[in-house]
Amino acid sequence: MKKIYCNIKKCLGCGSCEIACAVEHSRSKKLDSAISENPLPIKRRKAEFIEEGISVSTGCQHCDNAACVAACMSGAMYKEAKTGLTQHSRDKCVGCWMCIMSCPFGAITREKLEKQVVKCDLCPDRNKPACVEACPTKALSLGTFKEFKQLCNM
Amino acid sequence: MQYVIIGSSAAGISAVEAIRTKDKDSKITVISDEKKPLYSRCLISYLLAGTIDEKKIWYRKDSFFKDNKVDALLGVRVREINAKNKEVILNNKEKVKFDKLLIATGASPKLEDIPGIDKKGVFPLRTIDHTIEVQAMLDRVKSVAVFGGGLIGLRAAYALKIRGKDVSVFVKSESILSQIADKGAAGIMQRRLEEKGIKIFIGVAAKEITGDKSVKGAVLDNGSKYACELVIIGKGVSPNIEIAKDAGIKTNWGILTNDYLETNVKDIFAAGDASETNDIALGESSVNAIWPAACEQGRIAGLNMAGEKEKYQGSLAMNSIEFFGLPVISVGITRPKSSAYEELVKKDTAMNIYKKVVLKDGVIVGVVFVNSIENIGVIGALIRNKADITGIKEIILDDYFDYGKAIPLIKKSKTGFKEQEFKETVMTL
Ligand SMILES: Cc1cc2nc3c(=O)[nH]c(=O)nc-3n(C[C@H](O)[C@H](O)[C@H](O)COP(=O)(O)OP(=O)(O)OC[C@H]3O[C@@H](n4cnc5c(N)ncnc54)[C@H](O)[C@@H]3O)c2cc1C
Ligand code: SF4
Ligand code: SF4
Repeated sequence: MKKIYCNIKKCLGCGSCEIACAVEHSRSKKLDSAISENPLPIKRRKAEFIEEGISVSTGCQHCDNAACVAACMSGAMYKEAKTGLTQHSRDKCVGCWMCIMSCPFGAITREKLEKQVVKCDLCPDRNKPACVEACPTKALSLGTFKEFKQLCNM
Repeated sequence: MQYVIIGSSAAGISAVEAIRTKDKDSKITVISDEKKPLYSRCLISYLLAGTIDEKKIWYRKDSFFKDNKVDALLGVRVREINAKNKEVILNNKEKVKFDKLLIATGASPKLEDIPGIDKKGVFPLRTIDHTIEVQAMLDRVKSVAVFGGGLIGLRAAYALKIRGKDVSVFVKSESILSQIADKGAAGIMQRRLEEKGIKIFIGVAAKEITGDKSVKGAVLDNGSKYACELVIIGKGVSPNIEIAKDAGIKTNWGILTNDYLETNVKDIFAAGDASETNDIALGESSVNAIWPAACEQGRIAGLNMAGEKEKYQGSLAMNSIEFFGLPVISVGITRPKSSAYEELVKKDTAMNIYKKVVLKDGVIVGVVFVNSIENIGVIGALIRNKADITGIKEIILDDYFDYGKAIPLIKKSKTGFKEQEFKETVMTL
């Protein structure tokens, strides 16, 4: 299964991925207009400090046994059989936050007023996710774990 | 192979899905005494409130049974399990043979043994039928008495308040949400409910329900009377273990199983609200009657019925509730009962923010957060993996605490965090 990996050794914690993600998930998909949208677009990746000088960009890991899916009381979170991705259906979501309670990676964010949640969807409208494209150091990559290990020479 | 599953809710459905990932063809029979079982039990209070579209409570497609090649016997009860003959006997006297059986019979609401409890207008809230019956009488209801201040009592109270009723909640224990939240968090939630007009009376229980055929009121154990047309009983649930017990299956409070969710009788498994499992935070056997545990247990029981050898890692108490825009989530132990536990608390009263973690010997065993919930799942993972949080103790309640801060500890851990996703995310540190 292909997903987004972050090489901590290369990540600067600059937040370019966060901005690209929010813009990609905005209505206009353009930075200049996205910042004045109401509600503001929500990012699904987070550049997080691990400790002084070390950072990581995290988001949904599309877990094999996804805790969010087991916890979801409405069937909104589900595993897509074809791709193995963890997907979210807005039509079903009731905003109960059971998935937020369960996700070990803190990868789910509330849309408080809409009573919905958002998380990484690997940018269905693009070939390469926006964050991967925006990362200035190529810390982020899209691929299988095997490919990621090769990229990192590990 | 012939699989039989008793109960068609969270645990039973998850088991069907898991079996079908391993075995596409063998016969699966699901038996449920509910005629239309594919709804989410957790959402019936949302339905009562009218805050979700009715469609949303059907959490699996109508065609679920057909799509999964399941023979569904709906509206019938299993009366008896004959373990020796490997068959279940239905209340219509039919028999169904099994090679592997799953008992996913769930739980039933505890009703109070007080005079008048059988009057028209007294309901627990457990099934969609209860919801429909309550809805049907709402036009005639002005005031409601809810007995019990737990999750279900309060969800019912909230729903009925949204429906414009005058709602009073009577709670015998020392605070609301005593199973889910500590006093600090419960206090904030109580204030929010009261601000929005739900009346809450602590230390009071029902002594009698009054009226002729239909409810007209309740007499309370402090001697006072309360006039109402509807009574909701939210006094918790007890596991449906009778048919298991009668079949010689070991039970305690719930049905007992081994690490693979198989009971003491070979080829008979149990999962969900009916069963008792090892509670990771408590380190002892307990019934955690919650949706995520039922789904996870159903999945693992299903896999093992289909010949896998998947170990169940244990359950954790956890829940998420929101009233009038104020959310509270807890995982693990929130009200420690001895001085062996350490508590760290942080609050911002003006913002209605309250955060507490509970530690034992440096290991995190519980958490409760009000109104600032985004990263609570990370802490849940630390609890599940029995992480020693020395080193991040000072920052664990800070707003900026997130998965990144847990990475060094996950990388170092020798015993926990076995899932591939943890390994992948910490590999390059
Ligand atoms: C109003 C409400 C709100 C809730 N909210 C939450 C929440 O927010 N979060 C959470 O985690 N959990 C919540 N829960 C609890 C959650 O719904 C349960 O944990 C979950 O449904 C358990 O699933 P189960 O499959 O084990 O059992 P159940 O859902 O109880 O299903 C068991 C089924 O088996 C049937 N059955 C029993 N005996 C027999 C028999 N002999 N023959 C045939 N059929 C039989 C029952 O009728 C039932 O249909 C809530 C519950 C209620 C009622
Ligand atoms: S949301 Fe969280 S639990 Fe769900 S698949 Fe993504 S990382 Fe895993
Ligand atoms: S918030 Fe939505 S996606 Fe998350 S568990 Fe609840 S219904 Fe499912």
